[in-house]
Amino acid sequence: MTATGLTLPLDIPTVETDRLILRGPQPGDFEPLAAFFADEARSWGFGGPMERNGAWRWFAGNIGHWALHGYGFWTVEAKDGGQIIGIVGLWNPEGWPEPELGWVMFAGSEGKGLAFEAAAAARAHAYGPMGFTTLTSNIFPGNARSVELAERLGAWHETDFENVSHGIEMRYRHPAPETLAAATKTEGAA
Amino acid sequence: MSYSLTIPSLETERLILRAPGPQDFAPFAAFYASPRADFVGGPLTAEGAWRMLAMEIGHWTLKGFGRWTVTVKGSDEAVGMIGLFDPEGWPETEIGWDLFGSHEGKGYATEAGAAARNYAYTVLGLSTVISLVKPANTASARVAQRLGAKHDGDFIHERHGQMQIWRHPGPDDLTDGGMEAYA
Repeated sequence: MTATGLTLPLDIPTVETDRLILRGPQPGDFEPLAAFFADEARSWGFGGPMERNGAWRWFAGNIGHWALHGYGFWTVEAKDGGQIIGIVGLWNPEGWPEPELGWVMFAGSEGKGLAFEAAAAARAHAYGPMGFTTLTSNIFPGNARSVELAERLGAWHETDFENVSHGIEMRYRHPAPETLAAATKTEGAA
Repeated sequence: MSYSLTIPSLETERLILRAPGPQDFAPFAAFYASPRADFVGGPLTAEGAWRMLAMEIGHWTLKGFGRWTVTVKGSDEAVGMIGLFDPEGWPETEIGWDLFGSHEGKGYATEAGAAARNYAYTVLGLSTVISLVKPANTASARVAQRLGAKHDGDFIHERHGQMQIWRHPGPDDLTDGGMEAYA
């Protein structure tokens, strides 16, 4: 028996904002993620609730998503204190109509604009270094908090569609990279 | 920070065990869509199979070991997924074997299983490994027997239900590191 190595691509970039670091998943991120998935009130809009074993498989699957697609969910860490406050990223498993920008905030991290900051940074990274030309966000009907964030990001309700694993979802479409760039330029001139 | 994921390849007499990748999705999904997958968590939709394949890759990152895509020398086509598996909720590290389509009955599971076991003992330094087998999965139990494993109690999994624990011979019981002593 001989052993040689095969290296799968798993270059997960780190993205920094004023208050946050978006980084690749690490083993220690599992406990807060499992706690999130166990909490139905928080996770129903994200395929939850899920028992611990299922949460681990989702966690491992997200790393594989990075290996298979070159993108996935980052762990969002607060610069101040290093707390893991959520996950944000780009998701496109088999059966998805197109890649989406997704976000989840863990308990206690809401109301500070952190989800907006993380999602805007993930989108900028997708449109910049990763070369995406459009992005969607799929939101369960009734998930008002998520709709609010999508709208704050400039996305609009484009249509409803049947998601392969979640049933009917609302599809929000994000502004294109050039639209965002123009808006930033205008703001800068103002 | 940059991450990398190096998965070793193993070579046996007839097989190459290599890292799973996107090229394995079609045979993997076909297997998991078929009744053949009833004993191993299937049947799964294409989406479920994709997530499972992604999970197999992430397993390597999180645990430092996992299951390999099995190919027959001379072709890179996946004929199975065999290796070491220990996701959250598993009682201990197991050798798992899934052979796809028409590739059963040739001793591939036994051959690849022995290589995975040897890797567990010699590279990872494990002192014992098991295989979990659904009670009705007699073909899988026969592979465990051929590898010299013995039925050593049962385990109830919250989703898979009752599974037999087959305990493999330890490193000291295997003089040649393989299955030959039990053939």
